[in-house]
Amino acid sequence: MTELTTPFRQRAAAALDDAFLRQALTIATTKFIDLRREAFDEFPEGEALRDRARAIKEATLQRLDHYLGQLIDNIERRGGHVHYADTAADARRIILDIARRTGARLAVKSKSMATEEIELNEALLEAGVTPVETDLGEYIIQLAHEKPSHIIAPAIHKTKGQVAELFAKELKREVAADPEELTRIARVELRDKFLAADLGITGANFAVADTGTVVLVTNEGNGRMVTSLPRVHVAVMGVEKVIPSMSDLVVFLAILAKSATGQKLSSYTTLVQGPRRAGELEGAEEFHLVLLDNGRVKQIGGTLREALACLRCGACLNVCPVYRQIGGHAYGYTYPGPIGILLTAMLHGGEAVTDLAHASSLCGACLDACPVRIDIPRMLIELRNENVEHEVAPRGERLVFRLFARLLTRPRLFRLAASLGRLAQRPFTRGGAIRGLPGLFGEWTRTRDLPPVARQTFTERWASLEREA
Amino acid sequence: MVTCLGDLFYPEVGVRIVRLLRRLGVTVDFPAGQTCCGLPLFNSGYHAEAAEVARRTLPLFRDSQHVVVPSGSCAWMVKHEYPGLMKDSPLRAEAERLASRTYELSQFLVSVLGKTRFSSAVAGRVTYHDSCHLRRGLGESESPRTLLRNLQGAEFVELPASDECCGFGGSFAVRLPEVSSSIVDRKLANVEAAGAACLVACDAGCLMQMGGRLRRRNSPIRAMHLAEVLEADVG
Amino acid sequence: MTDRAAFLDRIRSEMARARGVGGAAQRGELAPRPARPREIAETLRRELAERWRETLEKFRVEFERVAGVYHRVASVDDVPDVIGAIARERDSRRAIAWHPAALGVDWRSALSTHGLTTVAMPAAGVESAVERQALRDLIAAADIGVTGVDLAVAETGSLVLRSGSGRPRSTSLLPPYHVAVFDRHALVESLAQAGIFLEAWHEVSSEGREDASGRGGVINFITGPSRTADIELTLTRGVHGPKEVHAIFVEGGLGG
Repeated sequence: MTELTTPFRQRAAAALDDAFLRQALTIATTKFIDLRREAFDEFPEGEALRDRARAIKEATLQRLDHYLGQLIDNIERRGGHVHYADTAADARRIILDIARRTGARLAVKSKSMATEEIELNEALLEAGVTPVETDLGEYIIQLAHEKPSHIIAPAIHKTKGQVAELFAKELKREVAADPEELTRIARVELRDKFLAADLGITGANFAVADTGTVVLVTNEGNGRMVTSLPRVHVAVMGVEKVIPSMSDLVVFLAILAKSATGQKLSSYTTLVQGPRRAGELEGAEEFHLVLLDNGRVKQIGGTLREALACLRCGACLNVCPVYRQIGGHAYGYTYPGPIGILLTAMLHGGEAVTDLAHASSLCGACLDACPVRIDIPRMLIELRNENVEHEVAPRGERLVFRLFARLLTRPRLFRLAASLGRLAQRPFTRGGAIRGLPGLFGEWTRTRDLPPVARQTFTERWASLEREA
Repeated sequence: MVTCLGDLFYPEVGVRIVRLLRRLGVTVDFPAGQTCCGLPLFNSGYHAEAAEVARRTLPLFRDSQHVVVPSGSCAWMVKHEYPGLMKDSPLRAEAERLASRTYELSQFLVSVLGKTRFSSAVAGRVTYHDSCHLRRGLGESESPRTLLRNLQGAEFVELPASDECCGFGGSFAVRLPEVSSSIVDRKLANVEAAGAACLVACDAGCLMQMGGRLRRRNSPIRAMHLAEVLEADVG
Repeated sequence: MTDRAAFLDRIRSEMARARGVGGAAQRGELAPRPARPREIAETLRRELAERWRETLEKFRVEFERVAGVYHRVASVDDVPDVIGAIARERDSRRAIAWHPAALGVDWRSALSTHGLTTVAMPAAGVESAVERQALRDLIAAADIGVTGVDLAVAETGSLVLRSGSGRPRSTSLLPPYHVAVFDRHALVESLAQAGIFLEAWHEVSSEGREDASGRGGVINFITGPSRTADIELTLTRGVHGPKEVHAIFVEGGLGG
């Protein structure tokens, strides 16, 4: 059963050995869970709003072409430009073209999973444009040359000591390992970058079709900086982020921050409507919106359709027993956690998640926590099913399960197997428990005792039990 | 219905359920030919195979008025997935009929029989773990608690984070055993914090996971099925 | 590269394929929208005027929960004293403010008696790049930014500010202390009510045009000071935006 040891399993095991990581994960996820619970406890209308939010996402998806068309019209009416990217490579090319044409050398970015997904920073660097992440967590990650380990708290795996070391190396001076002081340093460092940058790059939490509005939600204010100061603003957005109206927007705002951080609203909700207007002192002279497909569109009619409703709040990560043990990096892709497995399959195909699709006990905590009630466990099972049917699942595994299925559909064979098991377990049984089994069963007994097959199974006892009556 | 893990590893649970139900005036039958509900196959993505198991299991219960299942996850499989698996089959109506008549043990005792007061087979502090399929899948968290709170001769205490997964997850437990046991360790730390001598659950999978880990750690805490702590009906 | 038509066509063909797919059967329904939002908003304002005291109290509680500093004064003439005190305690000398026409009042000379030099933002756009740069340097160097408020949302303790002529975006962003001045006309109870105003601000007239005169390209919901918890979840304020947000309620109204 060598195929049971996958690269993912090895990464997960490495994460389990990282004592700091596990402590940080426990503290962070527990805190996020508590904050979320408190936020919804004092917001009784929250449950109904979650249903409403989901219904809005569904209604939008049912007329996605219409709302995207409306969004495009309205952004163009406001003097903005809209671009269409089928793939990550298309999106990179579009943004590099804009950078080249405008002569940009320095780009400031506010936190955006979409630009992580298209690996924009690497492309910008190669083209001679310096990208600077301005969300504090993302800035830390960028200095460390790592990827975010949590959708909304990218650097939760780092200690303040590690952050101080990174800053010291970057600034070439000593830095105290104090979050307050580190934040102050980042403010000063990044303030200069904001004021000097030619290009501001953001994602989008939502886009409101009928007003041509891109909505950014941040706590630090970097989203405001990036959209106000540089002369060019590029927003990169998955096509599923469009919503019809401002009335829809306030429904999402009422549940997004509560799900993410337990705040009623994040510090800043910024509604950007095209470039600077006549009479305005600030704002980008050029506004560009890049609409990104990258695997999303074919899920409109696909297995992962529900995942298109995701708000990227991170609530499912915090409650996931697997994520809470291993953190984000072990997943190995841009999007970690339960929703991350689905998004990885969306972006890279089902083959990319042959092992990841099993990185879930299917406990359903994610479905409970999801503000728009995405049935993640159902889709994980669907992905597993597709991988079985397309014979992507390992051959050995398929053999074992089909053999098992045979036993289950042939009661006599099942009884025989139980008897054989009773014989086979003898050498491993001590004091009513089994340890140290070989092969597949050994994966169980490595960490847990196994109860032996009973001397008499229930089925075997039934005859006498029936007489008792 | 007594499903695979219960049949092979915990027959005593089944025996106790039969005797308990009989004492409550229920006529108990155990149709021959049962193996497993098919959940392990279904969850791992072997849907055609799981459907085959469902097709063979369904007719066995044609004549039963109510079907009582000792594990929440098997009850969930029957109630939640059988109708879907049979959606293109002539057995669809039968699957839906079975789904509507199937109960997890605590549900059956409380909702169908209206029995909530039992004497305890164990003494001391008892706590309860919410199995994921029972709590989130079937939305059942009150029936087991009602039974345990009313238990005469034992003290019920709430388990901190009782609704967090025990890390079993079927094949998950052997695919990612390291992660699976880290998860159960968190669960057991909570059980210790609750100061319970006995950890009750309504699912053979969770009991195998939590009990197996407790034994490996030589813990004095016992993992028990609900049926093992319910002694006799006291009104 | 793909153009609009090809991009939307592909989406359309996937939508056709979606009929019958799992989630597609789910109920789809948009949020209810006011048909004539400007009328509704005006009616709402009148209703809110009757219970502004309760709304204000709710706002105060929520605003303070998000670490906002709340002040209440009787008249516009009392505002400079409050700002002056804020400046003194923080050793601040330089302030910038929305243009008097946008604020509804001119506090510059009153503030100067408190030792605070206040520069009002230009009422209209600035064409010269040199001049714009000079203004930006000024804003970046200021200690206090004084703004008005379009909506104060009680449910969340949020201040809603529209950018536009005389009301640059950075007034509430670059200076470390943001002081927002508002009166009862800005108060709304809930996010849902704020949504009605968002709709009203964008209502398209019967000629198919939106009234955008003097409007800028950004609307901000500001809910407390700039904050981060990115290092070991330690809450820290003022990472990029202001570290303090003050809201001054003027009981007698702002005029204008």
